[in-house]
Amino acid sequence: MHPRAVLRAPFTRRAWFEAAYCLAAFPLAVLGFVLTLVPLALGAALTATLVGAVLGLVLLVGVLMLARRSARLHRALAARLLGERTAPPPPFRRGHGIGGRIDARLRDVTAWRALGYTLAKLPVAALGAYGVAWWITALLNLTLPLRWFLGGGTPGGIPMLTPLPAGGTPHISTWPGTLWAVAAGAATLLAAPWLVRAAVAADRRLRHALLGPGELTQRVRALEETRALAVDDATARLRRLERDLHDGPQVRLVALAMSLDMAQEKLTDQDGAISDPDGVRRLVATAHRSAAETLSELRDLSRGLHPPALDDGLPDALATLAARSALPVELSAEIPVRPTQAIETMAYYCAAELLANAAKHSGARRAVVTLTQQDGALRLRVTDDGSGGARVTAGGGLEGLRRRIRTVDGRLHISSPEGGPTAITVVLPPHA
Amino acid sequence: MRVVIAEDAAVLRELLVLMLTERGHEVCAAVPDAEALRAAVAEHRPDVTVVDIRMPPTHTDEGLRAAIDIRGAYPGTGVLLFSQYIETRYATRLLAAGSAGVGYLLKDRVANVAEFTDALQRIADGGTALDPDVVTQLAAAGGRRAGLESLTARERDVIALMAEGRSNASIAQTLVVSHGTVEKHVASIFTKLGLPASDDANRRVLAVLRYLRG
Repeated sequence: MHPRAVLRAPFTRRAWFEAAYCLAAFPLAVLGFVLTLVPLALGAALTATLVGAVLGLVLLVGVLMLARRSARLHRALAARLLGERTAPPPPFRRGHGIGGRIDARLRDVTAWRALGYTLAKLPVAALGAYGVAWWITALLNLTLPLRWFLGGGTPGGIPMLTPLPAGGTPHISTWPGTLWAVAAGAATLLAAPWLVRAAVAADRRLRHALLGPGELTQRVRALEETRALAVDDATARLRRLERDLHDGPQVRLVALAMSLDMAQEKLTDQDGAISDPDGVRRLVATAHRSAAETLSELRDLSRGLHPPALDDGLPDALATLAARSALPVELSAEIPVRPTQAIETMAYYCAAELLANAAKHSGARRAVVTLTQQDGALRLRVTDDGSGGARVTAGGGLEGLRRRIRTVDGRLHISSPEGGPTAITVVLPPHA
Repeated sequence: MRVVIAEDAAVLRELLVLMLTERGHEVCAAVPDAEALRAAVAEHRPDVTVVDIRMPPTHTDEGLRAAIDIRGAYPGTGVLLFSQYIETRYATRLLAAGSAGVGYLLKDRVANVAEFTDALQRIADGGTALDPDVVTQLAAAGGRRAGLESLTARERDVIALMAEGRSNASIAQTLVVSHGTVEKHVASIFTKLGLPASDDANRRVLAVLRYLRG
């Protein structure tokens, strides 16, 4: 860290708010700890008798409900003072009937995790409070000369505080002594924010681990999101296919039929010689061109649906792709284990899109495609020597690519400084 | 007739221009989007316009909206819409202000240039040209309606062809019956739909609209 940052730390808003957070969180933590542990201990002791066990159960339910509420309070406090939002856990689902309600409370994982937080929070909060104590010590020592002047030399001297428990409270009764207090205060002031920060960092970890949505919930959320992406993507692709068919082959076939009909009219108009042989020739030529264009458009479209080369595996398909690319492409593909078809197709389209991007936008002269496999995961890397500056923009091609890759839990890494070169890596799991 | 064409596919646009010019019609303008269409119609005041429904920039119903505007601003200009699919919704919107000088055909019909130019001529003369698909869909969408269920199967055939915009002679030819028989059917349709005696063309339009919109 820069030495200036160390000197400046005590004078930053962040340090003050962190200290305020620790100050506010400490009494809450102590209260929460006591209100949790005492009923729990009481409940455990009562469980010796049957009636007591019922009472213990009620106490446990109460503690769990309290834990949920105190968790909300801690989350709000962190959001307010630290500006750190913890994603809310899933809402509580009530049961039906008395048994069902108690059962729902006892199975409430969120509440149990919150209870864990309440217990684990105490030492962290204590550390935070200790950090706040350093702040106070520092401020008192720094103002000691002022108090010395105002007090006009208190008999027996003014006590100087030391942040360390072993330091004692030496009394200052001389003018040079006050300077010692100032020096000690300054040192403490410099250290205090870091102590507080350590407590806040520990607390952050606890909050993320115990107060946020659990791993499963997060996974469900991610899956819901990527499922929506996959559905959107499929719809968008069908729409694009419809557009392509509409603007391409359908139009050409209408033109083809129309020119043939016009030619036919010219041929059947007359009984004898054809009056406009050139016109007929032109129309037939137009028809022929339309037919040829239809064929090539249909070929492109069906290749877009499923590249036939993929049937022979990804390396072959990529070789075909590389050969057809507008840029000279150097390809190395080595995959000992064949991934599933969905992953192969995904990798192929990523390569196709990235190569097209390189040829279109970057002004590159050549590209390198590398395909490797690590622990089953597929790694596709496309680099080019173009001008760089590739980034994900809303609605852009890379954004679309990232969305599609996410649907199979894959990842996209972009390294593309201005001026180039660009290296884009796609990592895909062995199966979708 | 004087024609303005709006079609975004260049190959089709050029063929339409070629085809109409060869048949002695005047193509005042051939444009690729709805904005240019509005401007061209304002400038040339053509007898009829041929309008693709899906055009840039959104490729949805630009052509239809322009066509409706044109119908409102220049009642003397006929409008022939064409597209690759028939959308009942579009037909209803187009026919909302009446069926005189209006047409809606599948693009496939262009392939039969003689029929296509006939339809265009009919629209330019203030008639109607609806694709058989449009008629079927609209009639189906309308469901059973008062007056219509009393029509016989033959009368339904006749009114469907009337809805396409055909003359009695053309209907007789299609159904392979005499001209008189068709006239009898038509008169019976007017009676069953309760259309008062007035000039024949007007009753015809009313009958067709009743049939299509219910």
